[in-house]
Amino acid sequence: MKRSAFILSLLGFTGFFSFMATAMDEATLRADAQKVFKEKVGPFVRKYCAGCHGSRAKAGINLQSALKNPSGESGSLHFKKAAANVKVHDMPPEDSSKKPTDAERRQFVEWIGKLKYLAPRDPGPFVIRRLTKTEYANTLRDLYGVDSSVADSLPDEVVGEGFLNSISALQSEQFLGIANKVVAQVLAPEGKAPTAVQKRLFGEAPPEDADLRKAARVAANSLARDAYRRPPTDAELDVLVDVYDLGRDNKLNHTAAQGLMLKAVLVSPQFLFITPAGEPESKENIVPLDDFQLASRLSYLLWSAPPDAELAALADKGELHKPGVLRAQVGRLLQDTRARALFDGFGAQWLGINKLDGQVFDPKRFPQMTQALRTAMIEEARLFFGSIVSENQSVVQFVNSDYTFLNEPLAKVYGLGQSVRGPKMRRVKLTNPNRGGILGMPATLATTSFPNRTSPVNRGVWVLEQILGERIPPPPADIPELGEQEHKDVKGLTLRQLTERHQSEATCRNCHKILDPIGFGLENFDAIGRWRDKNNEGLPIDSAGQLPDGKKFSTPAELKRLLAQREADLARNLTERLMAYALGRQLGGYDDVVIDQIMVKIAKENYRMRAIITEVITSYLFTHRRIKG
Amino acid sequence: MKMKNPSHIDRRTFLKGAGVTLALPFMDSLASAAAPTKPPVRLAFMYMPHGVIMDQFWPKDQEAFLKAQPPIIRSLKPIMDQCLMMKGISGVPINPFNGAPHALELSTWLTGRLPEANSRGRINIAISADQIMANYVGAHTLLPSLELATMPQTWKENQEGLHEGYYNHCSYRSPTQPVPAETDPRNVLNRLFGKRGKEGKVTRTNPLDRQMLDRVLGGARDLRKTLAKVDQQKLDEYLDSVRSVERRIAAIETRQQEAAFEKNGVAPSKRHATDSAPIEVKIPEGDKRSKYMQVMCDLTVLAFQTDTTRVSTYVGSRPNGASYPELGFSNQHHSQTHYGSDQEKIRKVAAINQFNVDQFAYMVKKMHALKEGDGTLLDNCIMMWGSGLEDGNKHRRDNLPFILAGKGGGALKTGRFLSGVKGNQADLLTTLLACVGVPLDRPIGIATQQIEAIKA
Repeated sequence: MKRSAFILSLLGFTGFFSFMATAMDEATLRADAQKVFKEKVGPFVRKYCAGCHGSRAKAGINLQSALKNPSGESGSLHFKKAAANVKVHDMPPEDSSKKPTDAERRQFVEWIGKLKYLAPRDPGPFVIRRLTKTEYANTLRDLYGVDSSVADSLPDEVVGEGFLNSISALQSEQFLGIANKVVAQVLAPEGKAPTAVQKRLFGEAPPEDADLRKAARVAANSLARDAYRRPPTDAELDVLVDVYDLGRDNKLNHTAAQGLMLKAVLVSPQFLFITPAGEPESKENIVPLDDFQLASRLSYLLWSAPPDAELAALADKGELHKPGVLRAQVGRLLQDTRARALFDGFGAQWLGINKLDGQVFDPKRFPQMTQALRTAMIEEARLFFGSIVSENQSVVQFVNSDYTFLNEPLAKVYGLGQSVRGPKMRRVKLTNPNRGGILGMPATLATTSFPNRTSPVNRGVWVLEQILGERIPPPPADIPELGEQEHKDVKGLTLRQLTERHQSEATCRNCHKILDPIGFGLENFDAIGRWRDKNNEGLPIDSAGQLPDGKKFSTPAELKRLLAQREADLARNLTERLMAYALGRQLGGYDDVVIDQIMVKIAKENYRMRAIITEVITSYLFTHRRIKG
Repeated sequence: MKMKNPSHIDRRTFLKGAGVTLALPFMDSLASAAAPTKPPVRLAFMYMPHGVIMDQFWPKDQEAFLKAQPPIIRSLKPIMDQCLMMKGISGVPINPFNGAPHALELSTWLTGRLPEANSRGRINIAISADQIMANYVGAHTLLPSLELATMPQTWKENQEGLHEGYYNHCSYRSPTQPVPAETDPRNVLNRLFGKRGKEGKVTRTNPLDRQMLDRVLGGARDLRKTLAKVDQQKLDEYLDSVRSVERRIAAIETRQQEAAFEKNGVAPSKRHATDSAPIEVKIPEGDKRSKYMQVMCDLTVLAFQTDTTRVSTYVGSRPNGASYPELGFSNQHHSQTHYGSDQEKIRKVAAINQFNVDQFAYMVKKMHALKEGDGTLLDNCIMMWGSGLEDGNKHRRDNLPFILAGKGGGALKTGRFLSGVKGNQADLLTTLLACVGVPLDRPIGIATQQIEAIKA
């Protein structure tokens, strides 16, 4: 091999050219999008929308100002909302004089789809965030060998696309209290032999004539390297040694003063927040993540835990960002048992079943919904999700598979009580085509139900949003929930007849004619996921329905098959959600362009789960950050 | 990341620059005169969403106010002479967020203005009235302010693209920082009066911790500089909370020292001989909402009585989500408020309104029974109950329902129903802050005036 060719291949020769090709495509597409907004979207908005959503906002949507800056945060949001409403015939309203044809509606949605090309190439900023409760507990476990239950006293937090709710003063007192506990467990009582962790963190006890302050600085360096997930700055070391001095000045011995230093590390924002390491010396607006950031981002994504020794060593050597190395590490991390965290952090949230634990079920109607059964339901979803990741199956398996994981209480819900005995979860082959996959899974069926009955509407929304990634306009603000309507004239109606009342009201009809028929397809499953042929009133269940594209089905099995055919939609939705989770922010603008590129790559891999995870992690968005502008 | 070794002087200057003044309460107390001083004035806000059934809330006239109260406010009957109601206070107009009336009824309640429309996806509104007061008087007490809520502030909904935090918070430390509320009464009790160990003794704080935290905060300043503005706000939120821990430890040390001085006759007691003993707070078992809300009210009373804080907020329930099984129906509050002409729903909403006012009445009656100085605890407080909507049915906000109790140390003239008041919610907040002696360098939110009619 010639030397230049060798160097080129080292540089990722093909990658370079595909990057150039992409950049050129992007310029063309941007020009096209600008044209479309000027010549098509503008006239459409002025003809059909501007009467109400023009100079002033109606229902919070102002398309006139959105036209001026369509790719801005607010403009693109307004357009996406508008497209969702136009698509389902929710807008323009029934009584408006000018209404677009079906073809015009389709075109409008397509035009708005080009919005992403207007956005400049931008990975977004590195969003700093506090460790979640789970991440915090795992980090204490991995670094200091304490049991992760040490963090149990922290309140549970609610996470939405990576955003946490605010921290109260009480919570930071709890951080201090937990830090006290960790230090107490790490340090042996005075006069006793040091603990193993103590030796690892602080080394052997220094000889009597040693320079103790110097030894403390060395210990501070290694404590901070692990806890801050990057080499500390000199200034950061000064602060820690200052804390050590504080201890010594107050008559603490060398060991106890180092303990105080460890406590300071544990309440430092550098530990509690995943932060970038300083301002890079760069004139560029956009820079690649440094290897330390990359290591943290990667390990917290897949493990909800800090980088292990191998990742840390690769970061120290500056090798982690190399594509081959990074891919290999993704593979290695996914093989580790810690990768089950991906379900707890991401999977459960995606499926919406993180709420199941606290969800209320009518104890009279569902006495079997015990804590043990709930736990089994969540465990089934966890194992099922885990099997698709670890066996590198296609995302299609999520909706259409022929196996699941059951124990005895859960098998009873499936009507398989005879064949599965005992509390242990095990893999079970399913022969009933209505089961298998997240549509026929008790955890998801229960989480979309009310305490005493199913909700075809919730289930319809869940299928469209969580599985297919569609955008559903929210219901008008002043509409009571169906279950709360207590008019006398609804007595004696089946839930289907009741739900179909939506379709007699103009304001409800357009969305519900899309949502409800999907939910009906799952009506054979009751509110905790048991099969039934008749409803509570003893009337036969009618589970016929159709998808928005008009395809009809008459059983859950047929609905599953139809959804399984939409593998690209399934994969795109999952990819987008994983990306938002990985970046800790909502997607929009240029992100959509990157997702398009990932879609091309994962299609070649038959939408296998590992391919999706790997492409997200090696993507431009995951490996870069904007530092200015 | 280049920096000088952090020094304490730098950090204190920095804190002052950021609008936070550190108290030196110990020196304050040494400097104070021998005689006990006038009791401080305290201010509390208690919130209920979705408005009221108007004709069952507002008295017909002054006489009805004193003698024949409408059902919703009837529980205040014995102490109407301590209360003040004024009709005609309008809410903040919510255009361009018309699709988000409930997020805004809460978040505008104490800020008196709308969120920034151009960054609606983030929290960006204004410092709230309670926190303005906390900045002014918070340094004198163990806690600068107290924030309570009945339910976790985790409602997830973002209508009109508004950040979901707007659904959950009324209290904002700065335009970008909501103050999370405590929902666990046991935690609040521990926080106010120290954790009790196994033998019932209050655990001693470690004075080294305070100095250690001080150094950590100093070090974080460099980290802060490397971050983007949005990220700085997140960091500040944490640093603020650490600062409050540091302050609390300092205040407890001071208290202990003061107690020691008092015991040895070196310093005078701050308490009057006639003052009532601190009330006892019992954490209830079970999940009855009334008991739960009452213990939160008790905690507010105790915090005021012991001068542990001088300003508090209590989100009795946030928009959406709450139900009142104790009242014999399981419907969610919001679903009943769009009642149209449905008498059954009207009955239920009125019952929920009354339930909430009952808890407020429980609190202020208790305060009226506690002696302080020459009068009662209530005399030295302003307790405000209210909602962010006039009426949930049509989301009107022309006459927001408010009840004030307490004279604010003589600033308010109670025992009156004022029917023709003109002003908005921000005017009212501005007036209340003036009454408790907080000087403002600019009016709150959309305020243009003070509501002189309510003053003494």
